[in-house]
Amino acid sequence: MRALLLAALATVPLRAVSAQGTAALYGSVRDSSGQPLRATVRVVNGDGVGVADAQGRYRLSVPGGLVIVRVGLLGFQSLVDTLTLAAGDSVERDYRLGPAVVPLEPVIVTAAKHSQLLSQAVTSVALVSDTDVARRAVTTVDEAVDKAPGVQFLNGQVNIRGSSGYVQGLGSRVLMLVDGVPANQGDRGGINWDLIPLEDVARVEVVKGAGSALYGSAALGGVVNVITREIPSGFHARVRALGGAYANPPFDVWRFRDYTGALEGLDVTTSYGTAAARGSYTAGGWHSDGYREQDRRNHWQTAAKAQWIPTPETRVTTSGSWASDQYETPLIWCTHGSCDDRGQDFQPFMIEASGRGAFTRSDKGQLAATVEHHASERFAWQARGSWGRTDFTDFQPTGDDWGVANRYGVEFRGEVHPTGDRVVTLGAEGSFSDVRTNIFTGDANPTSNVVRTHDQREFAAYAEGERQLGRLRLVAGARIDHLDVDGGSLATVLSPRLGVVLPTARAGVWRASAGRGFRAPSLAERFVSTFVQGIPVVPNPDLDPETAWSFELGNAATLSSAVRTDAALFWTEAYDLIEPTVDSGRIQFKNVTHARLAGLDLAVTATPPVAGLTTTLSYTFLHARALAHDSVSERPLAFRPRHLLTLGADYQRGVIGVGGDFRYTSRLDRVEIYETDPRVAEKVLDLRVSAVWGAWTLRAQLANALNYIYSQVPRTLAPVRTFAATITWTY
Amino acid sequence: MANRLSRAALAALGTIIPLVGAAACNEGLQPTPLCPERFVGICGRVTFQGTEPDSTEGVLVVAYPRFPQSRNDLLTFQPFPPPPSLARPFRGSQIYALPLSTGRYEWVVAVWKKVGAFAPGFSNADSLLKEAGFYRDQTDPTAPGVVVVHDSSTDSVNFVIDFGNLHPICTYFPPCP
Repeated sequence: MRALLLAALATVPLRAVSAQGTAALYGSVRDSSGQPLRATVRVVNGDGVGVADAQGRYRLSVPGGLVIVRVGLLGFQSLVDTLTLAAGDSVERDYRLGPAVVPLEPVIVTAAKHSQLLSQAVTSVALVSDTDVARRAVTTVDEAVDKAPGVQFLNGQVNIRGSSGYVQGLGSRVLMLVDGVPANQGDRGGINWDLIPLEDVARVEVVKGAGSALYGSAALGGVVNVITREIPSGFHARVRALGGAYANPPFDVWRFRDYTGALEGLDVTTSYGTAAARGSYTAGGWHSDGYREQDRRNHWQTAAKAQWIPTPETRVTTSGSWASDQYETPLIWCTHGSCDDRGQDFQPFMIEASGRGAFTRSDKGQLAATVEHHASERFAWQARGSWGRTDFTDFQPTGDDWGVANRYGVEFRGEVHPTGDRVVTLGAEGSFSDVRTNIFTGDANPTSNVVRTHDQREFAAYAEGERQLGRLRLVAGARIDHLDVDGGSLATVLSPRLGVVLPTARAGVWRASAGRGFRAPSLAERFVSTFVQGIPVVPNPDLDPETAWSFELGNAATLSSAVRTDAALFWTEAYDLIEPTVDSGRIQFKNVTHARLAGLDLAVTATPPVAGLTTTLSYTFLHARALAHDSVSERPLAFRPRHLLTLGADYQRGVIGVGGDFRYTSRLDRVEIYETDPRVAEKVLDLRVSAVWGAWTLRAQLANALNYIYSQVPRTLAPVRTFAATITWTY
Repeated sequence: MANRLSRAALAALGTIIPLVGAAACNEGLQPTPLCPERFVGICGRVTFQGTEPDSTEGVLVVAYPRFPQSRNDLLTFQPFPPPPSLARPFRGSQIYALPLSTGRYEWVVAVWKKVGAFAPGFSNADSLLKEAGFYRDQTDPTAPGVVVVHDSSTDSVNFVIDFGNLHPICTYFPPCP
């Protein structure tokens, strides 16, 4: 009835009101907590529209007489106000908008290198929101992401649908981005998950399947984009303190120390913003005693971000982060005879006596600058430059290994909207990586102690177009990468992608895609020259890039207001996968494996008819086979679980929230080394609770609450029951 | 239809969560003593080297109270009848437990058995049995190590089984056929 009345009023002839002169309407728009909102204030029955500024202030010149004003902002409930103003009046009206009751469809930026609705993506995307991150009292990004559907971490190495397996962090088949800037290590190709302070993370987008058509090397299995928080207006500060403890071994025969291990940390974030310039700074650190022998760790980090917005169309962003770690290295656990084993076949909390004293000093940092400009409604461009640096030394009883690596990157990207139903994204990208080291030297004699420098260059151009044809959304694009390595080979790789999205009235949104991915061998894989447990590891400068074709058919559906599902069938054919091979008494990385990874990804979010309760289920079935080659017959691909199941539930009542996750990972069919060691399925239950009092937030998590003892990779104990609590004060 | 699906999904969730939670209890890695409790005999770890021959029927561990002085002494091994083969796969390493009566044993040896049946009088033993490795003296690795079994188990009787270095009986008692 009210809507009918408003509609009727909105049809009042403009001429009638415009003849009555104008009045001024001003005031502010804020959310329910008092934060200013840049809402739109529009006169419904006449001319007059304005957008509130960063402080939430607005001012309109409106026709005299009866005026109907609508105040709105995405994510908030619209508000309609009716006033009668006389010509020449100056009236103040302050508005408060409540949050939208219906959750908005998420907007993502990674799947197509520009912002789009989640339902427009042609590949599967998993989102980890800041709420998901905050729920867990964890210290690094990987701990917060590892429950995302289809994602699994193996001793710190990320797998998306079984992409990477485990190679001790070398050569990740997943590309990590920080605000769209590539952040994989320049020498080893791995990922430093502790580079970005967790407090700075707004959300994480995980794009599954080959993403090389837009992102090039390393995006063979997927892309993880860590997106940092927008800097709000005004002065803000946040202090977070962390404290916790590790459970002792559940059996006396495994006890290895006479005290309870602890962890503690502190982070401080401050920011100040105006309409034209904003900046934030975070500093902090944490200490952990670890949960096993020789596992203590100290971590220090700092990060800063600055934005300059000279015009509404232009934004300049610079950011930097630096982290320093000193940690003991628990190489492999003790087996019978390699330590004081107390008559046991193995001692999972203790390490081999020969590995005692090993520790690592690691510093890493990243600087990035981005200029974004919206030239018009039809064209926007972005340019960025970045520099990443890693510096590590492994101090070992048998001799130290070290490496200092840099990765420089530049990119220019344009986004063209020739018509309302078309988008073209195109760009060029270049990177240069180098390493000075005594381990990735390329020396054929691992006993020599030479120090050498190696470098690698990559140049690429890409373009992708999207077009709406009726209900159908078509995507087609390709990228060409040229790789150039000193002392090695040249390679040119073409990575095309085709995709389609079809929304239907009854069967949800269907998506299908086919794309090619590749990964250039890391400098470490090409030039490593060292010993592993007495076996020489020799270089192979002529390694070729790994390639893969990924196919996906997916569907996202809302079964009712209470249940949403996202399911996908995927199939990846991977060629020339690089693996360490033992041949003639030496180890060498070679392009050996043709692999097939196929399966099903399913995510269900259900909101049962209990106010405040949300439940989630995600399941991945993975059929991962290394196909026959040479004299090796077909066999399971190592370090890929067949089943990955995650159940989650969260309940919020007032200021109190409770929740938990359960993760089941089936026993690995095959591992690369120590194949006959006992191994079990992973069954980990995490419980959490939170409470909010004004500016204070308390969160606690009991990770691995059942203290389930297991290993993901051979002779490496996975984390035991860990209690962690954080208290955060926000200004 | 949609409501029925919703209810079904919710019911499935409500059923799965407690079931899987219960399944997680009381499993995971457990302490693995080298020798079982109240076990009398020897225990240890055997480490495999080389490639297992295609004709392998099995590998078993036996012990001799006295080092064999003749071919006839080869039948004085314990326990008798011989234990089953070690478990496949014959890669990496594995622990074993060999029940023995108390006493002194001069040779703890792994015997490789080729696929095939013994002829009367073990006349074809040379072609079917080979020494694949033995427990060695800690100070003189070329010599067999002596093991003493008391009323409880004796552990750390570790040795290597090398498929690339199998020795037929005639190596010890020539001539070779």
